[in-house]
Amino acid sequence: MTATLPDRDADVASPPAPEPNPAPAARPTRAPEPRLPRRGDDLWTVVSTTGTMVAIVCLWVVGQMLFLSSFSQARSQDLLYDEFRTAIAGDPNIVPPIGPTVPVGDPVALLTIPRIGVSQVVVEGTASGDTLAGPGHLRKTVLPGQAGTSVVVGRSATYGAPFRDLGDLRPGDDLSVVMAQGEVDFKVVNVRRAGDPYSQPLPAGGARLVLVTAEGSGPLASLTPGSVVYVDADAPKGFIPPSGLPATVPEPEQVMHSDHGALPLLALHLALLLAVILGVVAARQRWSAPLVWILTTPIAVALAWSTTDVVMRLLPNVV
Amino acid sequence: MHATTLRTRLRAAFAVSGATLLAGLVLAVLPASADPGKPVPPADNVLRASGSPFSQIKTLTRTFVNDDGTTLEFPANTVTVNASQTKDLRGRQRILIDWTGAQPSGGRASNPYGENGLQQEYPVVILQCRGTDDTALPVEQQVRPETCWTGSVAQRSQITRSEGEASWIHDAVAAPADKERVSGMIPFPGKDVCPTADAEGLWTHLTPFVAASGKVYAACDGQNMPPEAAVGAAFPPAEIAAYSDENGEGSVQFEVRSDVENESLGCNHKVACTIEVIPINGISCDQPTSPQTVSDAACRKGGRFPAGSSNFANDGADQAVAPALWWSASNWANRIAIPITFGLPPDTCDVLDPRPPTGFYGSELMAQAALQWAPAYCLNKKRFKFQLNQMSDAAGWNLMESGGGPAAFVSSAHKRRGSDPVGYAPTAVTGFAIGYNVDLPDNNGEFADLRLNPRLVAKLLTQSYLGSDLGRGHPGIETNPLGIMTDPEFIALNPGLSQNAQEAGAALLSLSHESDVIEQLTDWIVHDHDAMDFVNGKADPWGMKVNPSYKKIKLPRSEWPLLDTYIPQTQNSCRQANPDVYFSQLAAPVTTLRKVSDALLDAWPNVQTRCDADLATQSYKLGRIDRQPYGSRFMLGVVSLGDAARFGIRTAALQTKKGTFVAPDEDSLAAAVELMEPQQSSGAGNGSKGDGGKGEGGKGDGGKGGNRADLARVVEEVLAKPQSGGDVDLSHVGKPFVLDQGDVRRSRTAYPGTMVVYTAAKLQNLAQDDADKVAQFIRTATTEGQKEGAGNGQLPAGFVPLTAKGSTAALYASAQEVADAVEAQTSKPTESPSPSATANPTLPPGDGGIELPDAPPVDLPSEAPSAVPSASPTTAPEPLAMPQTEAVSSELGDRAVPVLLVLGLIGLALTSLVRYFTRGAQGPPR
Repeated sequence: MTATLPDRDADVASPPAPEPNPAPAARPTRAPEPRLPRRGDDLWTVVSTTGTMVAIVCLWVVGQMLFLSSFSQARSQDLLYDEFRTAIAGDPNIVPPIGPTVPVGDPVALLTIPRIGVSQVVVEGTASGDTLAGPGHLRKTVLPGQAGTSVVVGRSATYGAPFRDLGDLRPGDDLSVVMAQGEVDFKVVNVRRAGDPYSQPLPAGGARLVLVTAEGSGPLASLTPGSVVYVDADAPKGFIPPSGLPATVPEPEQVMHSDHGALPLLALHLALLLAVILGVVAARQRWSAPLVWILTTPIAVALAWSTTDVVMRLLPNVV
Repeated sequence: MHATTLRTRLRAAFAVSGATLLAGLVLAVLPASADPGKPVPPADNVLRASGSPFSQIKTLTRTFVNDDGTTLEFPANTVTVNASQTKDLRGRQRILIDWTGAQPSGGRASNPYGENGLQQEYPVVILQCRGTDDTALPVEQQVRPETCWTGSVAQRSQITRSEGEASWIHDAVAAPADKERVSGMIPFPGKDVCPTADAEGLWTHLTPFVAASGKVYAACDGQNMPPEAAVGAAFPPAEIAAYSDENGEGSVQFEVRSDVENESLGCNHKVACTIEVIPINGISCDQPTSPQTVSDAACRKGGRFPAGSSNFANDGADQAVAPALWWSASNWANRIAIPITFGLPPDTCDVLDPRPPTGFYGSELMAQAALQWAPAYCLNKKRFKFQLNQMSDAAGWNLMESGGGPAAFVSSAHKRRGSDPVGYAPTAVTGFAIGYNVDLPDNNGEFADLRLNPRLVAKLLTQSYLGSDLGRGHPGIETNPLGIMTDPEFIALNPGLSQNAQEAGAALLSLSHESDVIEQLTDWIVHDHDAMDFVNGKADPWGMKVNPSYKKIKLPRSEWPLLDTYIPQTQNSCRQANPDVYFSQLAAPVTTLRKVSDALLDAWPNVQTRCDADLATQSYKLGRIDRQPYGSRFMLGVVSLGDAARFGIRTAALQTKKGTFVAPDEDSLAAAVELMEPQQSSGAGNGSKGDGGKGEGGKGDGGKGGNRADLARVVEEVLAKPQSGGDVDLSHVGKPFVLDQGDVRRSRTAYPGTMVVYTAAKLQNLAQDDADKVAQFIRTATTEGQKEGAGNGQLPAGFVPLTAKGSTAALYASAQEVADAVEAQTSKPTESPSPSATANPTLPPGDGGIELPDAPPVDLPSEAPSAVPSASPTTAPEPLAMPQTEAVSSELGDRAVPVLLVLGLIGLALTSLVRYFTRGAQGPPR
């Protein structure tokens, strides 16, 4: 978005340029700019500028969601993997994540699905913000690998899209979970979509892992993840879970829900963006364009990135 | 007993013939009391058990022996005494005792109970005594004055009286020993025991009390009385010196005490007791000395108060015709003894049956029935040990669903949260009432014809009365009446009552927690336009407005909240130091209906506004106000019909339609039952609360449901039928019945507080032995348990029996159907639970799909393997899980990326186009 600003700066800043302003005076080379005539056609300028702005904002967001965010998700996974490895290594000073409550955002399990090439660290919590880092574990269920039913929710289109191909799994496929109590091998028993029957009751002592994500339909399937798909995987025996699971989770952590608690944060980010723009306007009057570009581009990009992260929290947690 | 108005007119016009007419009606309604010769209690809006009445006639004469040895005989009074029930009584139960032909009373006390009733003339003394009047029994089992209970010394002993107050020494019938200066105990207690009892020149007579344990209390002062007679004892006195009107008639509700309430008196199911009715007819006097002594003259007195007069000042009455000498031989000989027996105490089962109890959880409406039913189960080795654990309907329901209890007692449809289908077996037809305890002004007895409309009840519930001047500062309702007794609307409905505002008149004592009773009460309000207009903020025709804290409160609701926050500003230092929400102190709801009944019985409102300060120590005493004085009692409370009948609490007639008021009785309850319809199966049969659906099929279903084989087959069929969707469960079995208050308004004869209590139990996944117990209970309770009576296993008053024929036939059939289904526990591997739970519309979206995998692990692990999978896709109605997950956010997830993409591309295209054209016209940009 900062990319357009110099243009506008040029338009706006140029009329007062002849005035005795120390900065322009130091850069007489910029004086030719006023040659761009008004042509009495503000309308087209407005349309053009607006179009540019909209294009940049939208394409940036889409680009980050679909492509750039993979980097940050991969980095989060690297960090989480290290953290998880340490956590379950048996250091007496670290409480391994075995539940019933684990701090939100902490790694709780390593999920591997060879068939679709998934190897992800599962984090605690399923709110939109939690699943940015990796698949999230629904907090009111037992941890993956423990006896009972555990639910893991992951994204299918954005932020690395760890569960992009979940719908391709077939009954009989293997997947394995490493958690603080050990390793459990599951076999997929059912892939369910709306209207499909539930899986059979779980035998006593067994463990079930329900992987949840969204998928789309039609030609743009990978871009329109609007309906939920479940994959049930069973293991004959799970580790004994601790008692005291919370009975419910807040609404944002339910499947397909978004986290409206992010709105204040978003407002803050937008305010910061505004501040950057104003800063650029001010800086352009003082410094040359390349200098302003060099100085503000990283700030603007970082800010845009983190703003998009916040925007993501307003979207459903499995998208 | 249809139109209350009719009854009122009848009674006002012809007291006697009205009673006869009502007797006829009562007899028609209650076949159990079908002895036309027996008297029937007058209509006083009390439901009463009709069994085991009592009646006796006795002729009483007072005689004086003249100076010359001749006898002067006064005209005889032929007294007839009736009692409504004498067998299987329970502690604190009130029975109606009425009499005719007594000497008219004079000097009537405002409070006739206990020692407050002593200064009256010619009253009828009624006491509860241990023992019976059978001379064949050993003396310790016979009734004597020494075994009669009084709550104070003054009621039984005369201590150091002057000669003018010693008329008993001239009693013609008395034994010589009782004519001594000190009498009553041999040997007479010494100074160490009774320091004040014996004084030279003064007369004393003691009537000691012999406790059930055999311990003798000399009754010469407060120290020598049994512990239950302590000042401010737990229960107010029950013994009464009752008033006969100018025709010599009178009636009283006498409260009996079992050994639970009064251990010293010690009446229980083993120890026989008697209610002694002693019409005070004056002491017969022996030959006077010549000249007459002061005490001779005192004995011959005939009373100083004219018949029918009152004695508010508590002036002294003539002792010879006063109740204090009830023990004297003349009076004692005039007694009419009503033998009574007590039922088994509430803890019988705990004492006699070592088996662990099987708790049924829920509605308190069942309390009185369970009290009589429990011994019929626990004392029968073929049955189980039944126990009612009272709690809110919702809590009982949840326990039943979670497997914490085999069955729940509920009285409306509840929302199913678990996965198993639940059957509702109608078990009892009863309900709630608004009980009251209201005195007529000027010592004219109790008001027996209270009428209430929904708006008045809404005013009470919404705390719109001010209570006292403290409430006048409440913003928004400053001009409202202080209490219901000063509300013009109430006065118009119930004319002739005192209009002195009391704090208790601002409150309807009710439940603090969730209950189906509150749900139905508020539903009755909802169906009245005037009441809802009032709740929604429209002032009533007299300008009274709703308390803003409750304005537009959502009704009906099962729990009544305390919403007001007004803390009055006052000069009272105690209140300043203890600020509290005044209107909540007035309302002060309680946790059980029984507590409301007790408060009504004791005329002790639960108003918590008492605030006493001791400035010297800066200490405060907060809490409940005093008991209301007899004569100016005014209290309203929500009670169960079972309690109302047991304790003789009067119940208000409730308005159904303008001008029509219906009081609870067997007729009006049965009329309401006829209006009930089985709840329509909505969706997958999840009984969502307040769903006033009506089905036509239900009654027909019920009709044929009596045939067990048929039903079993139907159930099998239903289960075997491969079906998709949620209608493959047992939800058509045992659906609850719904009483639409709109129908009640139309019918004019149905009582709006009628409620059916259901035994709700799971039809699947209930342990088989529990299932057998529940089925056994339902069958026993709906057959043997519906026989009216006061005995073990019988149906107490306040309940309408369920019968295979008549208005309750549909309920009866439904109960049998559910009993079979519960017993069958048709636990096919079908997951019929799932659909209903997922189809449950109130589950949060996105949750349903996740929830389910949690539930199944509990059930049938062994059946999970391969036999099932082939069948499950067809039989197992497992579908429909995910639709909910797509609900709210899917649009966003679906469209977000494409929309952003399209917008971005449009923006890009627009810019490019504009640039292209402007550049084309202008040359290179920038």
